[in-house]
Amino acid sequence: MKSLDLFASGESGIIEKISGGGKFLSRATAMGFTPEADISVIRNGRRGPLIVKLRDTEIAIGRGEASKIEVKEAVK
Amino acid sequence: MTVTSEKTRIIALAGQPNTGKSTLFNRLTGAKQHVGNWPGKTVEQKSGNFVIGDRPYQLVDLPGTYSLTANSIEEKIARDFIVDEQPDVVVIMADASQLERSLYLLAEIKLLNVPSVLALNMMDVAEEQGKDINVEELEKGLGIKVLPLVAAKGEGVLEFLSAIEAVADKEIKTDTKADSIFKDDKLFNSVKSVITGKINSIFPEDWMVIKLIEGDAEVYGEIQQKISSQEWNKLFTLLNSVEDGQLHAAGLRYEWISNVLSKAVKKQEAVEKKSRGKRFDKIATHPVWGKVLAVLIMLFSFGAAMIVALPVMGGMQPLGKFLVSAVNSGLTSAPQWFVSLLADGLIPGVSVAIMMLGYIFGVYLVFSLLEDVGYVARLAYIFDNSMTKLGLHGKSFMPLLMSFGCNIAGVTGTRVIDTWQQRMVTLVMVSIVPCAALWAVISFIGTIFFSAAMPFIILILLVIMVLHLSLTSYLLRKFVVPGETSGLIMELPPYHKPNWKTIFGHVWVQVKSFFKRAVSLIAILSVVTWALSYRADGNMDLSILASIGKFFDPVTSFLGLDWRLFIALCAAMIAKEAALSVIAVLYGIGGATSITSFLLGGAAAGHAELASTIGSMVNPASALAFIFAFFFTVPCIGTVASIYSESKSLKWTFGSSLYYIVTSLIAGGIAYRVGLLIF
Repeated sequence: MKSLDLFASGESGIIEKISGGGKFLSRATAMGFTPEADISVIRNGRRGPLIVKLRDTEIAIGRGEASKIEVKEAVK
Repeated sequence: MTVTSEKTRIIALAGQPNTGKSTLFNRLTGAKQHVGNWPGKTVEQKSGNFVIGDRPYQLVDLPGTYSLTANSIEEKIARDFIVDEQPDVVVIMADASQLERSLYLLAEIKLLNVPSVLALNMMDVAEEQGKDINVEELEKGLGIKVLPLVAAKGEGVLEFLSAIEAVADKEIKTDTKADSIFKDDKLFNSVKSVITGKINSIFPEDWMVIKLIEGDAEVYGEIQQKISSQEWNKLFTLLNSVEDGQLHAAGLRYEWISNVLSKAVKKQEAVEKKSRGKRFDKIATHPVWGKVLAVLIMLFSFGAAMIVALPVMGGMQPLGKFLVSAVNSGLTSAPQWFVSLLADGLIPGVSVAIMMLGYIFGVYLVFSLLEDVGYVARLAYIFDNSMTKLGLHGKSFMPLLMSFGCNIAGVTGTRVIDTWQQRMVTLVMVSIVPCAALWAVISFIGTIFFSAAMPFIILILLVIMVLHLSLTSYLLRKFVVPGETSGLIMELPPYHKPNWKTIFGHVWVQVKSFFKRAVSLIAILSVVTWALSYRADGNMDLSILASIGKFFDPVTSFLGLDWRLFIALCAAMIAKEAALSVIAVLYGIGGATSITSFLLGGAAAGHAELASTIGSMVNPASALAFIFAFFFTVPCIGTVASIYSESKSLKWTFGSSLYYIVTSLIAGGIAYRVGLLIF
């Protein structure tokens, strides 16, 4: 398990845990980030936000926000 | 069934952003729309009318939101409207190609116990993805009527209308058994057993229960008042038994959605066409090529905006000149002051406002197009990192960018920013960005004095602008609107073909509100300026305006601005271009007698003369001071009016104006001192 920001482009997994303040959680859950959701990383460069795909939607998420999301790597 | 009552039925249109809400809205209401703000809020409210049979319907477009918490103004507006107004039908719009996420809002609204239907848009896209959606299964699972649609092509709209009628007539009942989402949840049931029957609220009980679990501040307050402290303690223990209530509730909602979808949607192997959108997106979101592409698109956009605006701007100038000469030659028997009022005050003022209108139309058209096809979200993504350095995030990029075209567009563009703090910070920052008209004046004056060194001066101006933006953002976030800075979480919607109806609808609203807000102000300000400068003998030096300027002379000359340049700075409030004509008049150049005459382009001859005369009358250090002060001074009156209408606060409007004045005088003063050392 590692935080979302450490995933490389193309990797995928299942969200395990999300931490953070109430406002962040309410935004994140409404956009589809909840434990047990499948998630794949489309783009993760060295800086700036990531692009991930979950629940059929592409979402740009800031690096700081992504670090609050713990994801279990999919078995390759 | 014969309709006896003609009472207008209210239909609320709810849905997540990018589900095609406005497309459906425009299709149903056509031109019969009313656009304003939600009472007391700066969130746009759109409503429109249509008829089914003989009965009138009013369609109210709720703000596009992903959920219904009390955390954002938009979400609160949406939920309050549904609960307080009890619309006859709530239409929930969802994107068939992204069903899992876009049904989340439905899972929330379900608990509000209102008659509702699901409008399932973009069925064609879902089909392309290889999704086979069984509408009957979906209806059974969700407990509401489902209407498949392709709003952009108008497919399914007729069936949609008759379903709305049937639901409003109560012929189709909405299965409001909300507990199907949470019925097996231990926490939900325990909390419910504590409050059941004790709460008399406009909100349904199940909604209160789940919002308690989610920690909704508004519901918390309401419940706490209505139950004993013993019961409250019991509740409190229960609510703390899960690690996080929001995750708990959201998890259950998605679980419910997944269960329904697993029965209703068969996913075939997607007909994975390497779509053009995907390949384009690879470039558009690339850390390097994405920026290159963005710059190209921006340059192209401003060019296109200019081309769109040309007919209006090019047409208005000769028309204004014609009117001026017509008044001058036609009204020979009228008193001289009256002719001057028309020819030097009113006509040029209104003409300039209309020319601005044309330009604003162009800027909005081009940027609405970029927004509509889905590119703006990519811009926000690509520049998020740069914006973070300014203490903002990606969504502030677009307003700042539009400001280079027109500050007014930048100010209204701040609406897309989701938190109030970031919105206000961006709102103040956009006017620091120089608009196109400002560049015109700067480059004109600059080339006269510093021809070869001008690129260098522009570079310095831009560097100072960036520093100014950072400092302003820092000061605001530190002292005026402190709070946690939230990072980016933003949907990157799929690209789609431009929907011209939606685009023009949006542009029309913006242009109309500019017209209402600014045109009269610009005209009034032009007339006031005219009145202050009018002298029957034509000797401007003795006018009231001149004495005002001279009154401030001790202060302004310290900053390197003599009273004429200072007045030019003030008159630029009408429109940035006005500064040139004021300079021309006050330095008595080219027979110019009225401050506003240059607005209509004393044309090439006038400009050339202005260039040669002013070069000998103003020293370079003062010119430098003027350029710097002008660059950062208060935006035009149209922008200030927009700041007010966006912030709904006189404090912010005057506060920001004062801030611009002070910082611009500091910038001008420093430039003057430095200039004195150099020249």
